[in-house]
Amino acid sequence: MNMLIYGLVTGLLFGFLLQKGRVLRYDKQLGALRLQDMTIIKFMLSSVIVGMVGIYLLNDLGLVKLSIKATILGPVVVGALIFGVGWGLLGYCPGTSMGALGEGRWDALWGILGMIVGASLFAKAFPFLEKTVYTWGNLGRITVPQVLGVNHWVIIPIFVVGTLLFFRWLEKKGL
Amino acid sequence: MKLDKGAWNPYLAGALSGLVGIFSVWFAGQYFGASTSFVRTAGMIEQLFGAERVAQMSYYAKTTPHIDWQWMFVVGIFLGSLIAALTSGSFKLQAVPDMWAKRFGKHSVSRRAITAFIGGIVAMFGARMADG
Repeated sequence: MNMLIYGLVTGLLFGFLLQKGRVLRYDKQLGALRLQDMTIIKFMLSSVIVGMVGIYLLNDLGLVKLSIKATILGPVVVGALIFGVGWGLLGYCPGTSMGALGEGRWDALWGILGMIVGASLFAKAFPFLEKTVYTWGNLGRITVPQVLGVNHWVIIPIFVVGTLLFFRWLEKKGL
Repeated sequence: MKLDKGAWNPYLAGALSGLVGIFSVWFAGQYFGASTSFVRTAGMIEQLFGAERVAQMSYYAKTTPHIDWQWMFVVGIFLGSLIAALTSGSFKLQAVPDMWAKRFGKHSVSRRAITAFIGGIVAMFGARMADG
């Protein structure tokens, strides 16, 4: 029960910020895919750099556990390509579709229904995919610092500085 | 950067959402995600039509159809957005997004519905495959 309340409150805060940042809208998502409006990229990367520093810090203090998913090239590459086509048609991703609906953009409802159907189809296809796509290029639970053989505090500052330079470039270009 | 009325700077809103993410991992041990909840929802709906069949499917054995932290997180996103929109006057009932209307017209509601529905099917299939 406690976990359910944690989930609801966390979602509430996140949904509030997504709406305030104006990243829930079809126009913003398609704007990014058409390389015309980088609002969602700014939001996402800001979230990533803050989260990256905080979570690695807490991890070093032994307060949290990282959740590293296996890198399997087959499903990641094929899945990402399929996702991109669907995202371009729908104009919302799974989380933002719920937020878009909250803002009154109820065309998201069709997307939500479609995504439930898509999840059901995936569950049916999974036994076949498991024997095919999922066997291609399994690299295991790897991370960038581990592959490069360096401490994560070498990678994190480089990533943060690179992101900030990218932000400066976006502002210069007025995107 | 052109911000409409009531909008927050996306860098600030994004950074704050990163903080929410940190606290979520710290206090609840939960990383953000949404697409797994669509699998659980699909499983719960399918259970209404045949619980035994669902129980035999390996993917639903892995992602059991029930309400968990992430499912409530996804509900929370809806409510948080609703509250932010209503309290700032940016709530707007819209069947066709502005950019879509510019290309396909204001009255292309069914065209938008069909595209969004098919897009949803494809997007979720891909998201689940990539484990995103």
